[in-house]
Parts: sequence; C-alpha cells; structure tokens
Amino acid sequence: MNPTGLAVRFARAKEAAVFVLPLLAFLLVLYGMLAWTFYTSFADWEGTAPNYTFAGLKWYRFMVGLDRFWVDLGNNLRWLILGVAPTVVLALFIAYLLEIGAIKGIEAYLRTLVLYPAAMSFVVTGTIWSWMYQPDRGVLNTLLRAVGLDALASGYTTDPATATYWLILIFVWQYLGLGVLILQASFRSVELQEMVESAMLDGASRLRILFAVLIPNIRGGILVVVSLLLISALKVFDIVYVVTFGGPGYATDVLALFQFIATYQQHLVALGSGLAMVIFALAFIIIIPYTVYALQRWFE
Amino acid sequence: MKTRGAPLRALVLGTVAVLSVIYILPVYVMVVTSLKTPLEITQRHYLAPAGNLQFGNFATALRLVAPALLNSSVISVTVTALSVFIGGLGGYFLARFRWPVTKVIFVLLAIALYLPYQAVLIPLVRIMATTKLALTHFGLIFSYLILNVPLASILMATFFFSVPRELEESAQMDGASRLQIFFRIVSVVALPGYASTAILVFIQVWNEFLLALTLVTPYTTTIQVKLNDIKGSYVALYNLQMAAALITVLVPLTFFLFLGKYFIRGILAGALKG
Repeated sequence: MNPTGLAVRFARAKEAAVFVLPLLAFLLVLYGMLAWTFYTSFADWEGTAPNYTFAGLKWYRFMVGLDRFWVDLGNNLRWLILGVAPTVVLALFIAYLLEIGAIKGIEAYLRTLVLYPAAMSFVVTGTIWSWMYQPDRGVLNTLLRAVGLDALASGYTTDPATATYWLILIFVWQYLGLGVLILQASFRSVELQEMVESAMLDGASRLRILFAVLIPNIRGGILVVVSLLLISALKVFDIVYVVTFGGPGYATDVLALFQFIATYQQHLVALGSGLAMVIFALAFIIIIPYTVYALQRWFE
Repeated sequence: MKTRGAPLRALVLGTVAVLSVIYILPVYVMVVTSLKTPLEITQRHYLAPAGNLQFGNFATALRLVAPALLNSSVISVTVTALSVFIGGLGGYFLARFRWPVTKVIFVLLAIALYLPYQAVLIPLVRIMATTKLALTHFGLIFSYLILNVPLASILMATFFFSVPRELEESAQMDGASRLQIFFRIVSVVALPGYASTAILVFIQVWNEFLLALTLVTPYTTTIQVKLNDIKGSYVALYNLQMAAALITVLVPLTFFLFLGKYFIRGILAGALKG
C-alpha cells in the first residue's frame, strides 16, 4: 500500500467515524449490559445488595429443579406455536383475499380494521380484554347469555386448563394485521405478479395459484412474519402481567413474568439473570435464520 | 390478479363481516362504557349506547393520568428525537460505507433489534439506581435510547438506500463535505423516512411497559404503568378503566389514523429489509 492510498483510507475512515461512532457507543453499552447479565447468572447474587461472587452453575441447577420453570417453558412453547401458526395462516388467507378482493374500497377498510391494534399497547388491549373475558359480568359471557348461548359461556382466563389459550387469542388479535400487511406487500413484486398472470392464462385455479405460485415465492416474507411473531410471542410479558399475573396459580405464567418476579419480588437476582439468559438464548435461535436472510438481502 | 365471481364475493363479504365484529366490538364497548355511569353498567346492556353521556368520566380519568401523560410525553418525544438523529447518522453509515466491518455492525444491530429487554434489565436498573438517574426522566430516556437507536439506524438505512447517489456525487464535486451532504441533501430527501422512523419509535416507547414498570418512581410513572394501576385499583369501575384506556391509546391511535401511510412504510421497511 502506497502512502497516498493509506491517506485516502484514513480520510474515509475519519469521514465515517462521525456517522458510526454514536451508534457504536450505544451498541457497546447494550452488549456490555448483556455480558453483565450473562456473568450475573453465574454469580451468587441473592438479596437486594449486589453479590458478584462466582457460584458456577448453582442458580442454573436451582432453576431446572423448579416446577415453575418447566410450567413456564411449556407455556412459552404454547405461545410460540399457537401465537404464530394460526396467525400466519389467517394472515395469508386475508392477504390473498385482499389481493383477489374484487370489491372496491374493501382493501383499505380491512387493512385499517386489522392493523389498528398494532398501534395499541398490550396494557390497553389487556385492560379491554380483561373486561371482555370477565366470567360473571364480562362482555362476552353477558352477550352469549343474552342470545341464549349459555353453553358457550366460559371461565376464559380464570379456568386453569384454558387460560393461556385465551391470552394467546389476544395476541393473535393484536398481531394479525402486521402479518397481513407484510405478506400482502410480499405478493406485490413484479416477477410474482407476472407469474400469477401466466398461471391464470394457463387456467390454474385460484387455490392452486396460492399454493403453487404465491406461497413458494414469498418464502422471504413468510420468514419475516414468522420470525417477528415468534420473537414477540417469546417476549410476551405485558398481556400476562395485566390480565392474569400468571394465575390462576402458575397456569399462565411465562418465563418473562417469572424473570420479573424472581428478580424484583423474590430478589433472587442470579436466578433472574439465568432466566433472562434462557429467554435470550431462545430469541437468539429464532433470529438466526432471519438475520442470515436480512444480511443476504442487504449485502447482495 | 383482479377477477370477479359470485362465490368469491360472498367469501370476501363473509370474511369482512366476521373480522368487523371481532375487531370493532372491543373498541366499541370500550367507547360506549367509558361514557356510562356505574349503575348503567350493572344493567349489563353492554352494546347499548350510554343514556346520558358521562363526559365527567373522562375528566376524572384525566385527573388521574395527567402527570403520567406528561411523563410519557416528555420521555417519548425526547427519545424519538434523539433516536432519529443518532439513527439517521448510523443509518447513513450502514447505507453508504459498505465495508466488511459494516456487516459485523449489521449483525450486532439485527440481534439488538429483537433483543428481549430482560437480557439487559438487571444491569440497566442497577446503573439507573446507582447513578440516581431513575429518579428523573433521564433514566427511562437513556434506557429507551439504548434500545431504540438500533431500530432507528436500520430503518433509516433502508430509507437512505433509496436516495439516489447522483445527488450526493454532484454535491461532492461542488466541494461539499460528507456531513454537509448528509444534512443538507440526503436528510432532506429522506424526510418521509424520518417521519416513519419517528412514528414507529414514538409508538414503541409510548407503549412500553416492562422497563417503565421496573424503573418506576413516583416522578417517572408512565401512562402504561398508570393505566395498569387504575385497572388494579378501580376494579369494578369499568367506566373509569375504559376512559383511562381510551386516553392512553388516543395519541398512538391518532398517529396511526392520520399518518398511517408513514406507520405502514416504517413497518414494511423494518420487516422486509432489516
């Protein structure tokens, strides 16, 4: 490398520094705190005062010995499956209907209709749905009884056997619109539109077009939606906190809520850090395929 | 893909009808209930509009949430402005300096973008407690900045990609520095991108609950934490709960209804490219 080349490189780096340094400073703090949590999970911090004495796997052993941990993991798994699969299928169906829609004005209406909950907080939706679900005088049961469908009235989130599913339903209600939006956008590529048109000229049925042409060609869009939903379902905290606080018993408890309670109510901070690392590890697994895909798209 | 047919029309109309009920019912009930008296609510005609519109419910709810509303406004506006500014700079780096190290930064950002807050919660609370920042708005502002700058950077980068390079090249030949080009040309062209990013960050910060709850002090209670308090303390007063919920959701919902275009663009930019 000749001196001028080096000077040019140096000038470029100096130019870039102004733009990237503030961002790097924030990333450094963020990853520093992540490392801090990681270390704390191996420390012996129990109580309000910090204790960074290394304790090895002590608190991880404690964690896996807790029934509550396994109940939570099971519930998180329910969230991951039932919060995501039905949402994606429904979103795909609605997005396709919008595409072939045929009725003027309906697209804008339907999109706003399913998307507005995306702007609301889980605390607000949790407050509304708590009242919808209230078993004695709540909205749903009152309406069902009013039309003579008493048999359908249920305990919703107060019934330990089904409580989690009713919470997941709130999540699906809130996130469906995002799925529709993203999937519909991924239908819109020019090449895909041309493929659909030629398939229609060949006389393929609409259902065939959906499964043979559209779905295989929007794998990117589906990956994005699935990743987004998986990560949101994994992180779920607000809905559970507001509507049931994990109850009845531990029936609706999830890792994120246990993490909060272990750390700030039971002051088992090392355990809380361990639970945080479990949540992080699951999140990490979920975003790997997504990150690889995004990286390819960005740097192709 | 536009075709017509009777069975298809029926299917579309049926879907629209079902979705309308599912998506309008909760909000309709929320609005109607917020205007009723507690006595009216006990009569259980939940779908009937209020006999006498009780706007007093909103006055009462507003008195309860006013300080929290102010806290949330100060925090959300500050975080949005700073995230968009720092994210703009960072996004420009990602979009225009395509070095091998940029890939590394991108991967770090992608992970940060979806990081469960729990992973940094304990150190964050520790830092805020020892520095006493938690006692002021700066505690939450700083925390939200750390978590939203990555999102703002990625979003802004996707918007900068669509700014034509020729604009920059001609300015460069006129002797403008990179920073001048960024502020006077690129940022101006990408103003709609700034709007999208700002709306997304604002809504995310306004709606955030976990950090706000963990770092809560009497001086920094946010609107979401306050609403949860109200839900807990006015258990039977659904009219007050619903009025407070409506006030809480009013700001983000207004953004969504009137600036929906930017909101949607922001989501798509984040989803399809980042």
